Amino acid sequence: MKLAYYPGCVSKSTGKEMDASTRAVCAALEIELQELDDWNCCGATHVSNELVATGLAARNMAQTDLPIMTACSICYSNLRAAAMRLEEPKILKRVNAVLDKKYSGSIVRHALDVILETLVEDDERMVVPLKELKVAPYYGCLLTRPTGIYSPEFPTILEELIKRLQAEPVDFRLKTFCCGGPIFMPQEKAADDIAFRILSDAKNAGAEVIVTVCPLCHLMLDAKQKTLEQKMGEKIGIPVLYVTQLVGIALGLGPDELGLEMNSVSPMAMMEKVYERMAEGA
Amino acid sequence: MTGDEQFKQEVLRLAGAEVLTCIQCGTCSASCPTANLMDPSIRKLIKLCLEGKKEEALHNETLWLCTSCLLCTVRCPRGIRPKAVVSALKDIAEREGLRSKDADYEQFFLKQIKDYGRIAELALTGEFLLVFPQGAVQSMKMGLELLPKGKISMEIEKIKGRDEVKRIVEELRRE
Repeated sequence: MKLAYYPGCVSKSTGKEMDASTRAVCAALEIELQELDDWNCCGATHVSNELVATGLAARNMAQTDLPIMTACSICYSNLRAAAMRLEEPKILKRVNAVLDKKYSGSIVRHALDVILETLVEDDERMVVPLKELKVAPYYGCLLTRPTGIYSPEFPTILEELIKRLQAEPVDFRLKTFCCGGPIFMPQEKAADDIAFRILSDAKNAGAEVIVTVCPLCHLMLDAKQKTLEQKMGEKIGIPVLYVTQLVGIALGLGPDELGLEMNSVSPMAMMEKVYERMAEGA
Repeated sequence: MTGDEQFKQEVLRLAGAEVLTCIQCGTCSASCPTANLMDPSIRKLIKLCLEGKKEEALHNETLWLCTSCLLCTVRCPRGIRPKAVVSALKDIAEREGLRSKDADYEQFFLKQIKDYGRIAELALTGEFLLVFPQGAVQSMKMGLELLPKGKISMEIEKIKGRDEVKRIVEELRRE
């Protein structure tokens, strides 16, 4: 399978391990990625004019004829929302009038869905079974919204993938609750409060690890976890992995390839447990 | 058309005429992750728009507490997109030059897109702290966490198609 790859701005900074693990897992699964030519920012959640947001997404989508894959839920949501708006002929005409390469339709996919399609049940490439590993499937908001692909209230695709890796999804009430990320800079208190609720809920659900599909969710739950623990006076201590990192572990890829050293809460103790259980099972 | 009516029509143009069908049920407010901090609530904000109360609709924290999670939008029984109403109000506020730390943050973000085509997080944070020094403690903590992990990039990447991106931002914004 060959896809165009849209890394998104965070791939160069706070989401480096998202980018590294996405490339490594796709290589291992023989998914050929061709980085989108001269891609631009999707506008994230900060472009309030919808037509401008649509134009920014359309410029990216017009760079290729291949289906486009991204591992960032914000980019994913923005490209999908734009593709829906561009079905309206008036909007298409208006947007194409300012584009160099014209937009004429595009298929947008999230890495999660591409991986799930590629990885078959009992896939022999999964050399490290994640047996008994309790995983909190954290969807956040934008993988499922706008609607059209997954249920925005109770999606189950992450649980499906977790089970395919032979791990156990935990019952996690706040799995589609917002992490507060988009407003964490100017509205720190509001964002901290809701991010901590999610961490607390994952802990109460007995999670050994949380998986995310969005770099902003990851930043809030991983990079901010220590600060939030201090602020709220409660220990969490749960590693937060990108879904591509978790898949990479199951595929036997190394910590370097998956950028595991870049996670704030170290997943090494969790990894040891995985290997212990594997040795017991063998 | 009175100023009030003009404002209402502008919100409807940007967020969709279906906003007129709001029944004030409050599903949007009940779904909002930051509702406890909002005054007016998102339900009330929509009412203010429909009543043409421009000043009250534009000058509040509600606009800036929206996380863009879209839960209001997927749940509205009338098919209204309350988040799009918030975006419309931010767009109007930007055009009218309304200043606040939150409005400035969005402006810095958009300016980076216009100038570079991509976001350089470090430069964005630096620029924001100049107008909001109170954010320095949080940013410092975040920096100390991310720097040793190699996740802070000092580079500003500029794309080749900057002129095109600038055109998208400037021309599509015009009515």
